[in-house]
Amino acid sequence: MNLETTNLPKKYEDAIAHWVKHNFQDLPILDKYWDKHFPADDKFCLCAKMDLSTSRTQELGDHAGAPKAEDPSELSEEQARQILGIIRAQASTEFGSIQQHQVTIDRSPSDQDKFWILRVMAEELRHGYQMFHMLTSRNWDKLSGGVKTEDMVEDVLQMETGTHVLEAFNLPYDSFVDNVVFSGVIDRVGKYQLTMQKVCAYRPFAQSMAPMLREEAFHLAAGVVPMRRWLEAAAQGDGFITPKQIQQSLNKWIPRGLEMFGDERGGEKNMKLGFKDMKNGEAQLKYWNEVAKLLHDLNLRFLRARFPTKSPADVDRLLAAILRERTTIEGTQYDEILKMPHREFFRRRGEPAFRLVSVEGDPFTDVEEYVRHLAAVLPPAYLASRDMMQYRDLIRRVSGGEVTKEEAAMKSPVMKRRAESVCPCSKGVRWVDTDEAGAVEKLPKLAANEPPTSTSGPGGPTYHAP
Amino acid sequence: MNVTIRPLSDTDIEDITRIDEKVGGVYRPDFWEDRVAYYLRRDPESSRVALVGDQVVGFMLGDIRGGEFGLEDRSGWIERFGVDPDHRGKGIARQLFDALAAHFAGTGAKTLRTFVDASQADNAKFLAALGFVPSRLTALEKTL
Repeated sequence: MNLETTNLPKKYEDAIAHWVKHNFQDLPILDKYWDKHFPADDKFCLCAKMDLSTSRTQELGDHAGAPKAEDPSELSEEQARQILGIIRAQASTEFGSIQQHQVTIDRSPSDQDKFWILRVMAEELRHGYQMFHMLTSRNWDKLSGGVKTEDMVEDVLQMETGTHVLEAFNLPYDSFVDNVVFSGVIDRVGKYQLTMQKVCAYRPFAQSMAPMLREEAFHLAAGVVPMRRWLEAAAQGDGFITPKQIQQSLNKWIPRGLEMFGDERGGEKNMKLGFKDMKNGEAQLKYWNEVAKLLHDLNLRFLRARFPTKSPADVDRLLAAILRERTTIEGTQYDEILKMPHREFFRRRGEPAFRLVSVEGDPFTDVEEYVRHLAAVLPPAYLASRDMMQYRDLIRRVSGGEVTKEEAAMKSPVMKRRAESVCPCSKGVRWVDTDEAGAVEKLPKLAANEPPTSTSGPGGPTYHAP
Repeated sequence: MNVTIRPLSDTDIEDITRIDEKVGGVYRPDFWEDRVAYYLRRDPESSRVALVGDQVVGFMLGDIRGGEFGLEDRSGWIERFGVDPDHRGKGIARQLFDALAAHFAGTGAKTLRTFVDASQADNAKFLAALGFVPSRLTALEKTL
């Protein structure tokens, strides 16, 4: 990797600084204690990093072998719309996750947990900054449907939990368990998306991927290592953070993670355009298998802590027996073992959206029975959320035939641009006066929660444009 | 036998712990959780694992650093490695080393460095076979 770093023009730097003031108040703490928690690591740099060694040749798609586009003017209208959609969604995830983490960061059980997550947040901020570099370092005027660069940046900065592009970034955290499980599960989708986009036919975007991936690797560890430590403590009788709590959080996040890949049947367009090297379903399956392996390893960690004198082979056999028999063996309950929620469980987008399927894959015929099942397997604090109320109402209406699954998928999340800013002193951030006639309509077409195109199958906004 | 080499990942913790246990006879999950997290946040490309099928059978963890011990140039450091005893003698450690050396060279490092425990003759022999020679720096220590 041959890195070049660069900064945004001052007005965008100022806008991000203002956003940080209101959404990431702990950033100065990270800087103050960086050397204590990350000795020998380079200081955090809020800058865009470009990998100059990125290939100049399109590696796949309809124009494989041709030079990659270096500037928006070299993109077709369709390519520009698609890549702007990807950049917008990517930026939304970066800023969105910081807003989620900030709410519960102070509930971390240890300083290490807190500072690991703070570093994750800071690097997500850098990734959002990177996406703004994509928007601000080139002229998109002729390809953005008349939307100015300032408006595209503003569009992302005014989002808050509940109005982000992807569902996973619209769910508030219930506790620090969510900070950790989110890092291990949802950031893992980010790793897949960044990896797929390394081939992108728009070279500045491809150049952004390797530096982001390098940082993303630690984000996953910031999720996995605390989970391993919590399970070790639980196995030894510490009842504060239990396998049940972790399982409930997994049940909350994994369905949203699966949906971040887009509809299982889609993704062909991105491959044809040379933007990604896998279709949605293929990438989602790899992700699924990786998370399954992660849970298997967590279970081994738990059982080895509980049975320190057993051999690794004996623990393997014990785990297999508990999963096979679905019962308590040698004092370890089936419910203490982490399991992947079924791929059709609790889905609201994609091919299995709004099917009544239990966490273990059993079908329901009665929607009320299904709602009670959700109440039993999701985090109690999450059940009292607006998101769950909306989902419960939608699944009832789908089951009652009032709305189709496709219509229901489009209703969540509520993609509504706010008339007022999230920040009362936001003039430093905002360039858009939404009272201005037509301001909402000026947003790029790709910004709307549109019905899917024919190649994408049903579903709403995805990590990439459908 | 088809061996794949790839950068270190968080999902390798359990496999590395198990290889270390097979080699040394001690189960050290906490140690490897800390170390893998450390190497991931430094640079995942500077540490590699070897896979046969889906199974991790070897690892080599490294770093690029400069400014230590009067060594101002950034050097590639090979700090920990291990191969599953069931897969030894198949050139896996050599493949891990080649991948790391290429990565370090690609970042501009001119020198690879490591320490070896004099009591571990196999490791010393392996490193010599890779071309490592005694450095002008001598490791010193004093018991407190």
